[in-house]
Amino acid sequence: MTEHTTSERPQRDVQLTVNGDAVTSTIEPRTKLSDYLREECNLTGVRVGCEHGVCGACTVLVDGEPVKSCLTYAVQVTDSTVETVEGLSDGSELHPIQEAFHEENALQCGFCTSGFVMSTKALLAEHPDPDDEEIEAGLCGNICRCTGYSPIYDAVYRAADAMEGGD
Amino acid sequence: MKPAAFDYHTPADLDDVFDLFESYPEAELVAGNQSLGIVMANRLATPEHLIDLGGVDELRGIDVADDVARVGAMTTHRDLERSAALKETIPMLPDAARQIAGPSVRSRGTLGGSLAEADPAGNYPAALVALDGTLHLRSRDDARDVSAEEFFVAYMFTDLREDELIESVTVSRDPFPTDRTGMAFEELKRAAQTFPTVSAAAVVRVDDPDASEPVVEHARVALANAADVPLLVGGVSEAVEGEPLTDETVAEAADVAEAAADPAGELHADTEFKTEVAAEYTRIALTNAHERAIET
Repeated sequence: MTEHTTSERPQRDVQLTVNGDAVTSTIEPRTKLSDYLREECNLTGVRVGCEHGVCGACTVLVDGEPVKSCLTYAVQVTDSTVETVEGLSDGSELHPIQEAFHEENALQCGFCTSGFVMSTKALLAEHPDPDDEEIEAGLCGNICRCTGYSPIYDAVYRAADAMEGGD
Repeated sequence: MKPAAFDYHTPADLDDVFDLFESYPEAELVAGNQSLGIVMANRLATPEHLIDLGGVDELRGIDVADDVARVGAMTTHRDLERSAALKETIPMLPDAARQIAGPSVRSRGTLGGSLAEADPAGNYPAALVALDGTLHLRSRDDARDVSAEEFFVAYMFTDLREDELIESVTVSRDPFPTDRTGMAFEELKRAAQTFPTVSAAAVVRVDDPDASEPVVEHARVALANAADVPLLVGGVSEAVEGEPLTDETVAEAADVAEAAADPAGELHADTEFKTEVAAEYTRIALTNAHERAIET
Protein backbone atom coordinates (compact mmCIF):
# COMPACT_ATOMS: atom_id res chain seq x y z
CA MET A 1 0.00 0.00 0.00
CA THR A 2 1.25 3.47 -0.85
CA GLU A 3 1.79 5.75 2.13
CA HIS A 4 0.22 9.13 1.47
CA THR A 5 0.82 12.29 3.40
CA THR A 6 -2.39 14.18 4.02
CA SER A 7 -1.74 16.71 1.27
CA GLU A 8 -0.92 14.01 -1.30
CA ARG A 9 -4.00 11.91 -0.69
CA PRO A 10 -6.56 11.85 -3.48
CA GLN A 11 -9.31 14.44 -3.25
CA ARG A 12 -12.67 14.59 -4.99
CA ASP A 13 -15.46 17.13 -5.18
CA VAL A 14 -18.84 16.33 -3.75
CA GLN A 15 -22.05 18.29 -3.93
CA LEU A 16 -25.18 17.38 -2.04
CA THR A 17 -28.45 18.86 -0.96
CA VAL A 18 -28.57 18.23 2.78
CA ASN A 19 -31.81 18.99 4.59
CA GLY A 20 -32.63 21.46 1.84
CA ASP A 21 -29.26 23.23 1.76
CA ALA A 22 -26.77 22.92 -1.10
CA VAL A 23 -23.37 21.78 0.20
CA THR A 24 -20.16 21.55 -1.83
CA SER A 25 -16.81 20.26 -0.58
CA THR A 26 -13.53 18.79 -1.68
CA ILE A 27 -12.90 15.66 0.36
CA GLU A 28 -10.97 12.42 0.47
CA PRO A 29 -12.95 9.75 -1.41
CA ARG A 30 -12.70 7.50 1.64
CA THR A 31 -14.82 9.94 3.66
CA LYS A 32 -17.93 8.09 4.70
CA LEU A 33 -21.23 9.88 4.26
CA SER A 34 -21.70 9.54 8.04
CA ASP A 35 -18.43 11.34 8.77
CA TYR A 36 -19.11 13.92 6.07
CA LEU A 37 -22.50 14.78 7.57
CA ARG A 38 -21.12 14.93 11.11
CA GLU A 39 -17.86 16.75 10.45
CA GLU A 40 -18.45 18.89 7.36
CA CYS A 41 -22.15 19.63 7.91
CA ASN A 42 -22.10 19.53 11.72
CA LEU A 43 -25.12 17.23 11.71
CA THR A 44 -24.23 15.13 14.74
CA GLY A 45 -27.70 13.61 14.92
CA VAL A 46 -26.17 11.10 12.51
CA ARG A 47 -24.85 8.58 15.02
CA VAL A 48 -21.75 6.54 14.37
CA GLY A 49 -22.03 3.22 16.18
CA CYS A 50 -20.46 0.16 14.60
CA GLU A 51 -19.17 1.83 11.43
CA HIS A 52 -19.52 -1.37 9.44
CA GLY A 53 -23.16 -1.63 8.58
CA VAL A 54 -24.58 -3.55 11.51
CA CYS A 55 -26.22 -1.16 13.97
CA GLY A 56 -28.17 1.24 11.75
CA ALA A 57 -27.59 4.25 14.03
CA CYS A 58 -26.20 6.15 11.02
CA THR A 59 -29.31 5.63 8.85
CA VAL A 60 -30.20 8.67 6.73
CA LEU A 61 -32.38 9.12 3.65
CA VAL A 62 -30.71 9.51 0.26
CA ASP A 63 -33.20 10.56 -2.42
CA GLY A 64 -35.90 9.34 -0.05
CA GLU A 65 -34.48 5.85 0.47
CA PRO A 66 -32.92 4.72 3.77
CA VAL A 67 -29.18 4.21 3.58
CA LYS A 68 -26.48 3.20 6.06
CA SER A 69 -24.32 6.29 5.81
CA CYS A 70 -21.30 4.39 7.19
CA LEU A 71 -21.44 1.98 4.21
CA THR A 72 -21.65 4.80 1.69
CA TYR A 73 -18.76 7.04 0.70
CA ALA A 74 -19.96 10.61 0.34
CA VAL A 75 -18.55 10.77 -3.21
CA GLN A 76 -20.81 7.87 -4.21
CA VAL A 77 -23.95 9.93 -3.68
CA THR A 78 -22.80 13.25 -5.12
CA ASP A 79 -25.71 15.22 -6.64
CA SER A 80 -28.16 13.44 -4.31
CA THR A 81 -30.58 14.80 -1.75
CA VAL A 82 -29.83 13.76 1.82
CA GLU A 83 -32.13 14.04 4.80
CA THR A 84 -30.98 13.58 8.40
CA VAL A 85 -32.93 13.72 11.65
CA GLU A 86 -32.13 17.42 11.85
CA GLY A 87 -34.20 17.96 8.72
CA LEU A 88 -37.41 16.64 10.26
CA SER A 89 -38.36 19.53 12.45
CA ASP A 90 -38.21 23.27 11.91
CA GLY A 91 -36.74 23.69 15.36
CA SER A 92 -39.76 24.55 17.46
CA GLU A 93 -42.07 21.59 17.01
CA LEU A 94 -41.24 17.92 16.89
CA HIS A 95 -42.03 15.91 13.78
CA PRO A 96 -44.92 13.46 14.43
CA ILE A 97 -42.44 10.56 14.40
CA GLN A 98 -40.22 12.27 16.98
CA GLU A 99 -43.29 13.14 19.03
CA ALA A 100 -44.44 9.51 18.92
CA PHE A 101 -41.04 8.18 20.06
CA HIS A 102 -41.15 10.71 22.91
CA GLU A 103 -44.72 9.89 23.94
CA GLU A 104 -44.24 6.13 23.82
CA ASN A 105 -40.87 6.18 25.63
CA ALA A 106 -39.41 4.46 22.60
CA LEU A 107 -35.89 5.16 23.74
CA GLN A 108 -33.75 5.00 26.83
CA CYS A 109 -30.19 6.03 26.06
CA GLY A 110 -31.31 7.47 22.72
CA PHE A 111 -28.19 6.63 20.75
CA CYS A 112 -30.06 4.55 18.16
CA THR A 113 -33.07 6.85 17.98
CA SER A 114 -32.22 9.10 15.06
CA GLY A 115 -31.54 6.02 12.94
CA PHE A 116 -34.84 4.47 13.98
CA VAL A 117 -36.69 7.73 13.31
CA MET A 118 -35.27 7.96 9.78
CA SER A 119 -36.04 4.29 9.06
CA THR A 120 -39.56 4.91 10.37
CA LYS A 121 -39.95 7.84 7.99
CA ALA A 122 -39.02 5.62 5.04
CA LEU A 123 -41.25 2.83 6.34
CA LEU A 124 -44.32 5.07 6.67
CA ALA A 125 -43.72 6.55 3.22
CA GLU A 126 -44.04 3.04 1.79
CA HIS A 127 -46.59 1.65 4.27
CA PRO A 128 -48.65 4.51 5.78
CA ASP A 129 -50.65 2.00 7.85
CA PRO A 130 -48.12 -0.75 8.66
CA ASP A 131 -48.75 -4.01 10.52
CA ASP A 132 -46.28 -5.74 12.86
CA GLU A 133 -44.67 -7.65 10.01
CA GLU A 134 -44.12 -4.53 7.92
CA ILE A 135 -42.66 -2.69 10.90
CA GLU A 136 -40.26 -5.56 11.55
CA ALA A 137 -39.22 -5.64 7.90
CA GLY A 138 -38.84 -1.85 7.78
CA LEU A 139 -36.81 -1.48 10.98
CA CYS A 140 -34.76 -4.70 10.90
CA GLY A 141 -31.67 -2.75 9.87
CA ASN A 142 -31.65 -0.88 13.17
CA ILE A 143 -30.55 -2.22 16.55
CA CYS A 144 -31.77 -0.92 19.93
CA ARG A 145 -30.19 -2.35 23.05
CA CYS A 146 -32.39 -0.54 25.60
CA THR A 147 -36.08 -0.79 24.83
CA GLY A 148 -36.70 -4.37 23.76
CA TYR A 149 -38.38 -2.84 20.67
CA SER A 150 -41.94 -3.06 21.96
CA PRO A 151 -42.27 0.72 22.65
CA ILE A 152 -40.72 1.37 19.23
CA TYR A 153 -43.56 -0.57 17.59
CA ASP A 154 -46.00 1.50 19.68
CA ALA A 155 -44.29 4.67 18.49
CA VAL A 156 -44.53 3.64 14.85
CA TYR A 157 -48.26 2.94 15.24
CA ARG A 158 -48.76 6.29 16.99
CA ALA A 159 -46.81 8.13 14.29
CA ALA A 160 -48.81 6.37 11.56
CA ASP A 161 -52.03 7.51 13.21
CA ALA A 162 -50.74 11.06 13.64
CA MET A 163 -49.52 11.28 10.06
CA GLU A 164 -52.69 9.92 8.50
CA GLY A 165 -53.19 11.91 5.34
CA GLY A 166 -49.49 12.76 4.99
CA ASP A 167 -46.95 14.65 7.06
CA MET B 1 -13.48 1.33 11.11
CA LYS B 2 -12.23 3.96 8.66
CA PRO B 3 -10.99 2.62 5.34
CA ALA B 4 -7.45 3.23 4.12
CA ALA B 5 -7.04 6.06 1.62
CA PHE B 6 -7.95 5.28 -1.97
CA ASP B 7 -8.51 7.10 -5.22
CA TYR B 8 -11.94 6.98 -6.76
CA HIS B 9 -13.01 6.72 -10.37
CA THR B 10 -16.45 7.23 -11.88
CA PRO B 11 -16.67 5.78 -15.39
CA ALA B 12 -19.71 6.88 -17.42
CA ASP B 13 -19.82 3.88 -19.73
CA LEU B 14 -18.23 0.47 -20.29
CA ASP B 15 -15.43 1.88 -22.47
CA ASP B 16 -14.39 4.08 -19.56
CA VAL B 17 -14.46 1.05 -17.27
CA PHE B 18 -12.15 -0.95 -19.55
CA ASP B 19 -9.78 2.04 -19.88
CA LEU B 20 -9.60 2.16 -16.10
CA PHE B 21 -8.98 -1.62 -15.91
CA GLU B 22 -5.90 -1.04 -18.05
CA SER B 23 -4.69 2.00 -16.11
CA TYR B 24 -5.27 0.41 -12.68
CA PRO B 25 -5.13 -3.36 -12.98
CA GLU B 26 -5.23 -3.76 -9.19
CA ALA B 27 -8.33 -1.61 -8.76
CA GLU B 28 -11.46 -2.96 -7.11
CA LEU B 29 -14.86 -2.53 -8.74
CA VAL B 30 -17.47 -1.17 -6.39
CA ALA B 31 -21.22 -1.52 -6.90
CA GLY B 32 -23.43 -0.87 -3.85
CA ASN B 33 -20.54 -1.10 -1.35
CA GLN B 34 -22.62 -3.13 1.11
CA SER B 35 -20.03 -5.92 1.29
CA LEU B 36 -16.83 -4.28 0.08
CA GLY B 37 -17.53 -1.37 2.44
CA ILE B 38 -17.49 -3.75 5.40
CA VAL B 39 -14.17 -5.36 4.57
CA MET B 40 -12.67 -1.95 3.76
CA ALA B 41 -13.97 -0.55 7.06
CA ASN B 42 -12.15 -3.39 8.81
CA ARG B 43 -9.11 -2.87 6.56
CA LEU B 44 -9.26 -6.46 5.41
CA ALA B 45 -9.22 -4.87 1.95
CA THR B 46 -7.16 -1.76 1.24
CA PRO B 47 -7.51 -1.09 -2.50
CA GLU B 48 -5.67 1.97 -3.79
CA HIS B 49 -8.25 2.55 -6.52
CA LEU B 50 -12.00 2.06 -6.57
CA ILE B 51 -13.90 2.03 -9.86
CA ASP B 52 -17.53 2.87 -9.09
CA LEU B 53 -20.01 1.35 -11.55
CA GLY B 54 -22.84 3.47 -10.17
CA GLY B 55 -22.74 5.90 -13.11
CA VAL B 56 -22.73 3.26 -15.86
CA ASP B 57 -26.38 3.44 -16.85
CA GLU B 58 -26.20 0.57 -19.34
CA LEU B 59 -25.61 -1.83 -16.41
CA ARG B 60 -28.88 -0.94 -14.72
CA GLY B 61 -32.45 -1.90 -15.43
CA ILE B 62 -35.03 -4.66 -15.72
CA ASP B 63 -36.41 -5.75 -19.07
CA VAL B 64 -38.96 -8.54 -19.28
CA ALA B 65 -39.62 -9.63 -22.86
CA ASP B 66 -41.81 -12.49 -24.09
CA ASP B 67 -38.99 -15.00 -24.16
CA VAL B 68 -36.50 -13.77 -21.58
CA ALA B 69 -36.18 -11.62 -18.45
CA ARG B 70 -33.01 -9.53 -18.25
CA VAL B 71 -31.71 -7.72 -15.18
CA GLY B 72 -28.72 -5.40 -15.34
CA ALA B 73 -25.91 -6.07 -12.86
CA MET B 74 -26.22 -2.66 -11.18
CA THR B 75 -29.90 -3.06 -10.45
CA THR B 76 -30.47 -2.65 -6.71
CA HIS B 77 -32.21 -5.20 -4.51
CA ARG B 78 -34.94 -2.60 -3.95
CA ASP B 79 -35.59 -2.25 -7.68
CA LEU B 80 -35.74 -6.03 -8.08
CA GLU B 81 -38.03 -6.34 -5.07
CA ARG B 82 -40.45 -3.75 -6.43
CA SER B 83 -40.49 -4.87 -10.06
CA ALA B 84 -44.08 -5.65 -11.05
CA ALA B 85 -42.88 -7.27 -14.30
CA LEU B 86 -40.63 -9.70 -12.41
CA LYS B 87 -43.27 -10.45 -9.78
CA GLU B 88 -45.52 -11.44 -12.65
CA THR B 89 -43.05 -13.61 -14.54
CA ILE B 90 -40.04 -14.69 -12.43
CA PRO B 91 -41.31 -14.06 -8.89
CA MET B 92 -38.38 -15.88 -7.31
CA LEU B 93 -36.09 -12.95 -8.05
CA PRO B 94 -38.13 -10.26 -6.22
CA ASP B 95 -38.79 -12.80 -3.47
CA ALA B 96 -35.08 -13.47 -3.03
CA ALA B 97 -34.29 -9.73 -3.18
CA ARG B 98 -36.89 -8.86 -0.54
CA GLN B 99 -35.28 -11.26 1.93
CA ILE B 100 -31.83 -9.63 1.78
CA ALA B 101 -30.98 -7.73 5.01
CA GLY B 102 -33.04 -4.57 5.67
CA PRO B 103 -34.26 -1.73 3.44
CA SER B 104 -31.17 0.42 4.03
CA VAL B 105 -28.92 -2.30 2.62
CA ARG B 106 -31.31 -3.15 -0.20
CA SER B 107 -31.47 0.45 -1.40
CA ARG B 108 -27.71 0.34 -2.19
CA GLY B 109 -26.78 -3.32 -2.73
CA THR B 110 -26.91 -4.74 -6.25
CA LEU B 111 -27.52 -7.99 -8.11
CA GLY B 112 -24.08 -7.93 -9.73
CA GLY B 113 -22.29 -7.16 -6.49
CA SER B 114 -23.90 -10.13 -4.81
CA LEU B 115 -23.14 -12.48 -7.70
CA ALA B 116 -19.52 -11.35 -7.97
CA GLU B 117 -19.01 -11.73 -4.22
CA ALA B 118 -20.28 -15.30 -4.61
CA ASP B 119 -20.97 -15.94 -0.97
CA PRO B 120 -22.53 -19.42 -0.97
CA ALA B 121 -25.11 -18.11 1.53
CA GLY B 122 -26.18 -15.35 -0.85
CA ASN B 123 -29.74 -15.30 -2.19
CA TYR B 124 -29.25 -14.61 -5.90
CA PRO B 125 -26.66 -17.33 -6.53
CA ALA B 126 -29.04 -20.08 -5.35
CA ALA B 127 -32.05 -18.44 -7.01
CA LEU B 128 -30.29 -18.19 -10.37
CA VAL B 129 -29.05 -21.76 -10.21
CA ALA B 130 -32.62 -22.92 -9.50
CA LEU B 131 -33.86 -20.81 -12.43
CA ASP B 132 -31.03 -22.04 -14.69
CA GLY B 133 -30.11 -18.39 -15.31
CA THR B 134 -27.27 -17.10 -17.44
CA LEU B 135 -24.65 -14.48 -16.57
CA HIS B 136 -23.49 -12.19 -19.36
CA LEU B 137 -19.84 -11.23 -18.91
CA ARG B 138 -18.05 -8.45 -20.77
CA SER B 139 -14.45 -7.52 -21.31
CA ARG B 140 -12.97 -4.99 -23.72
CA ASP B 141 -12.82 -7.43 -26.64
CA ASP B 142 -15.08 -10.23 -25.60
CA ALA B 143 -18.58 -11.05 -24.45
CA ARG B 144 -19.43 -14.48 -23.11
CA ASP B 145 -22.33 -16.22 -21.43
CA VAL B 146 -21.90 -18.54 -18.48
CA SER B 147 -24.64 -20.54 -16.80
CA ALA B 148 -25.20 -19.74 -13.12
CA GLU B 149 -24.33 -23.32 -12.29
CA GLU B 150 -20.90 -23.01 -13.92
CA PHE B 151 -20.20 -19.46 -12.75
CA PHE B 152 -19.73 -20.37 -9.08
CA VAL B 153 -16.51 -22.34 -8.94
CA ALA B 154 -15.60 -22.59 -5.25
CA TYR B 155 -16.08 -20.71 -2.00
CA MET B 156 -16.34 -17.01 -3.00
CA PHE B 157 -14.56 -17.83 -6.23
CA THR B 158 -16.12 -17.43 -9.67
CA ASP B 159 -15.41 -17.91 -13.34
CA LEU B 160 -15.08 -14.11 -13.78
CA ARG B 161 -11.72 -13.10 -15.28
CA GLU B 162 -9.64 -10.13 -14.11
CA ASP B 163 -10.52 -8.12 -17.22
CA GLU B 164 -14.24 -8.89 -17.08
CA LEU B 165 -17.33 -7.60 -15.36
CA ILE B 166 -20.87 -8.91 -15.03
CA GLU B 167 -23.08 -6.98 -17.43
CA SER B 168 -26.45 -8.61 -16.83
CA VAL B 169 -28.31 -11.77 -15.99
CA THR B 170 -31.03 -13.42 -18.04
CA VAL B 171 -33.60 -16.04 -17.20
CA SER B 172 -35.40 -17.82 -20.02
CA ARG B 173 -39.17 -17.62 -19.59
CA ASP B 174 -39.81 -20.66 -21.75
CA PRO B 175 -39.71 -23.25 -18.94
CA PHE B 176 -41.89 -21.09 -16.66
CA PRO B 177 -45.35 -20.40 -18.16
CA THR B 178 -46.96 -18.21 -15.52
CA ASP B 179 -50.29 -20.06 -15.49
CA ARG B 180 -48.80 -23.35 -14.29
CA THR B 181 -45.47 -22.50 -12.66
CA GLY B 182 -44.78 -21.77 -9.00
CA MET B 183 -41.60 -20.49 -7.38
CA ALA B 184 -40.46 -20.16 -3.78
CA PHE B 185 -37.39 -18.83 -2.00
CA GLU B 186 -37.33 -19.87 1.64
CA GLU B 187 -34.59 -19.01 4.09
CA LEU B 188 -33.87 -19.74 7.72
CA LYS B 189 -31.98 -17.02 9.53
CA ARG B 190 -31.47 -15.94 13.10
CA ALA B 191 -31.95 -12.25 12.43
CA ALA B 192 -32.91 -10.20 9.40
CA GLN B 193 -29.45 -8.81 8.81
CA THR B 194 -27.45 -12.02 9.13
CA PHE B 195 -26.71 -14.37 6.30
CA PRO B 196 -29.19 -17.26 6.32
CA THR B 197 -28.29 -20.60 7.90
CA VAL B 198 -29.61 -22.38 4.80
CA SER B 199 -31.99 -21.29 2.03
CA ALA B 200 -33.88 -23.30 -0.55
CA ALA B 201 -34.96 -22.03 -3.96
CA ALA B 202 -37.57 -24.11 -5.74
CA VAL B 203 -39.43 -23.95 -9.02
CA VAL B 204 -42.26 -26.34 -9.95
CA ARG B 205 -44.21 -26.58 -13.21
CA VAL B 206 -47.29 -28.78 -13.52
CA ASP B 207 -49.07 -30.05 -16.64
CA ASP B 208 -52.54 -28.74 -15.79
CA PRO B 209 -53.28 -26.73 -12.65
CA ASP B 210 -57.01 -27.45 -12.99
CA ALA B 211 -56.65 -31.22 -13.07
CA SER B 212 -57.69 -33.13 -9.97
CA GLU B 213 -54.10 -34.37 -9.58
CA PRO B 214 -51.76 -32.12 -11.56
CA VAL B 215 -48.61 -33.92 -12.66
CA VAL B 216 -45.26 -32.26 -11.94
CA GLU B 217 -43.55 -31.72 -15.29
CA HIS B 218 -40.50 -29.86 -14.09
CA ALA B 219 -38.95 -29.26 -10.67
CA ARG B 220 -35.64 -27.74 -9.70
CA VAL B 221 -34.23 -26.98 -6.25
CA ALA B 222 -31.02 -25.16 -5.33
CA LEU B 223 -29.70 -24.61 -1.82
CA ALA B 224 -27.72 -21.69 -0.41
CA ASN B 225 -25.11 -22.20 2.29
CA ALA B 226 -25.41 -25.98 2.12
CA ALA B 227 -22.06 -26.34 0.33
CA ASP B 228 -19.17 -24.08 -0.71
CA VAL B 229 -21.13 -23.06 -3.82
CA PRO B 230 -24.87 -22.71 -4.49
CA LEU B 231 -25.94 -26.33 -4.71
CA LEU B 232 -28.25 -27.69 -7.40
CA VAL B 233 -29.97 -30.73 -5.93
CA GLY B 234 -30.07 -32.76 -9.13
CA GLY B 235 -31.98 -35.72 -7.71
CA VAL B 236 -35.06 -33.63 -6.94
CA SER B 237 -36.26 -33.83 -10.54
CA GLU B 238 -36.18 -37.60 -10.47
CA ALA B 239 -37.93 -37.71 -7.09
CA VAL B 240 -40.95 -35.59 -8.00
CA GLU B 241 -41.32 -35.31 -11.78
CA GLY B 242 -43.78 -37.36 -13.83
CA GLU B 243 -46.38 -37.79 -11.07
CA PRO B 244 -48.56 -35.65 -8.80
CA LEU B 245 -46.74 -34.11 -5.83
CA THR B 246 -47.43 -36.08 -2.65
CA ASP B 247 -46.02 -36.14 0.87
CA GLU B 248 -44.05 -39.20 -0.20
CA THR B 249 -42.42 -37.64 -3.27
CA VAL B 250 -41.62 -34.46 -1.32
CA ALA B 251 -40.07 -36.57 1.43
CA GLU B 252 -38.00 -38.35 -1.19
CA ALA B 253 -36.81 -34.97 -2.52
CA ALA B 254 -35.93 -33.88 1.02
CA ASP B 255 -33.90 -37.08 1.48
CA VAL B 256 -32.06 -36.36 -1.74
CA ALA B 257 -31.28 -32.82 -0.53
CA GLU B 258 -30.05 -34.16 2.79
CA ALA B 259 -27.70 -36.55 1.01
CA ALA B 260 -26.46 -33.82 -1.37
CA ALA B 261 -25.84 -31.18 1.31
CA ASP B 262 -22.24 -30.75 2.35
CA PRO B 263 -22.30 -27.68 4.59
CA ALA B 264 -19.51 -26.18 6.66
CA GLY B 265 -20.34 -25.91 10.35
CA GLU B 266 -20.80 -22.45 11.84
CA LEU B 267 -20.92 -21.04 15.37
CA HIS B 268 -24.71 -21.19 15.57
CA ALA B 269 -25.36 -24.10 13.23
CA ASP B 270 -23.20 -27.19 13.04
CA THR B 271 -22.96 -29.44 9.99
CA GLU B 272 -25.59 -31.86 11.24
CA PHE B 273 -28.13 -29.09 11.89
CA LYS B 274 -27.55 -27.39 8.55
CA THR B 275 -27.99 -30.72 6.79
CA GLU B 276 -31.35 -31.22 8.53
CA VAL B 277 -32.37 -27.67 7.59
CA ALA B 278 -31.40 -28.35 3.96
CA ALA B 279 -33.87 -31.25 3.91
CA GLU B 280 -36.65 -29.39 5.72
CA TYR B 281 -36.32 -26.24 3.61
CA THR B 282 -36.31 -28.31 0.44
CA ARG B 283 -39.65 -29.73 1.62
CA ILE B 284 -41.04 -26.25 2.45
CA ALA B 285 -39.85 -24.63 -0.78
CA LEU B 286 -41.10 -27.45 -3.00
CA THR B 287 -44.48 -27.50 -1.25
CA ASN B 288 -44.92 -23.72 -1.52
CA ALA B 289 -43.77 -23.62 -5.15
CA HIS B 290 -46.22 -26.40 -5.99
CA GLU B 291 -49.07 -24.62 -4.22
CA ARG B 292 -48.39 -21.51 -6.29
CA ALA B 293 -48.17 -23.57 -9.48
CA ILE B 294 -51.64 -24.99 -9.03
CA GLU B 295 -53.29 -21.82 -7.79
CA THR B 296 -52.08 -19.57 -10.63
